[in-house]
Amino acid sequence: MNNYEHTFITKQDLSDNQTKSLLNKYQDIINKNSGKVLITEEWGLRNLSHIIKNNKKGFYFHFKFEGIGKTVEELEKAENIDDSLIRYLTVRFKKLDLETKYFDKKDYY
Amino acid sequence: MKKTKRFKKNTKGSKYSKLSLFQKPDLKYKSCPLSGKDAPKIDYKNLKLLKRYLSDSGRIMPTRVTSVSAKKQKEMANSIKRARILALI
Repeated sequence: MNNYEHTFITKQDLSDNQTKSLLNKYQDIINKNSGKVLITEEWGLRNLSHIIKNNKKGFYFHFKFEGIGKTVEELEKAENIDDSLIRYLTVRFKKLDLETKYFDKKDYY
Repeated sequence: MKKTKRFKKNTKGSKYSKLSLFQKPDLKYKSCPLSGKDAPKIDYKNLKLLKRYLSDSGRIMPTRVTSVSAKKQKEMANSIKRARILALI
């Protein structure tokens, strides 16, 4: 089993229900493909530092999960098709740091 | 005894009042601020730390300015690039 961190950015003009359904959808994909979500974080609506595909703002979501190579493959396959996503990033770690949260405070904005 | 006293006097003054040949020169190189026991952890989410190692125009600062060790500079460059992908910096 490997440890991964995954972040994705959705478009700005989504409602609360739509973002929540997106979050559940990708959690299910991880859990079904022999993975396990440990922590989910919502960083909220943030300004992008540069314009990506005509977007200036986006909702950030962050997963920390265990899994194998196929888990990531299936997750990114689903995200590639999705129109409401702007960008995603998966990083593999030897050890996950589950305690420190960098985006809790407001002064990071 | 007298000699050691004079030594101490010299070191206390400013660096221009150096007299003895046997005095050690001032350290030329700073040690790495990111290695050691209480060093902060480099992470692509730790924006406050990453911004300290960027120039005003957003470029990565060279080692000769920041005196970060080669190993940590590589880590730093990687995490800055990750933060750029997510449009955090």
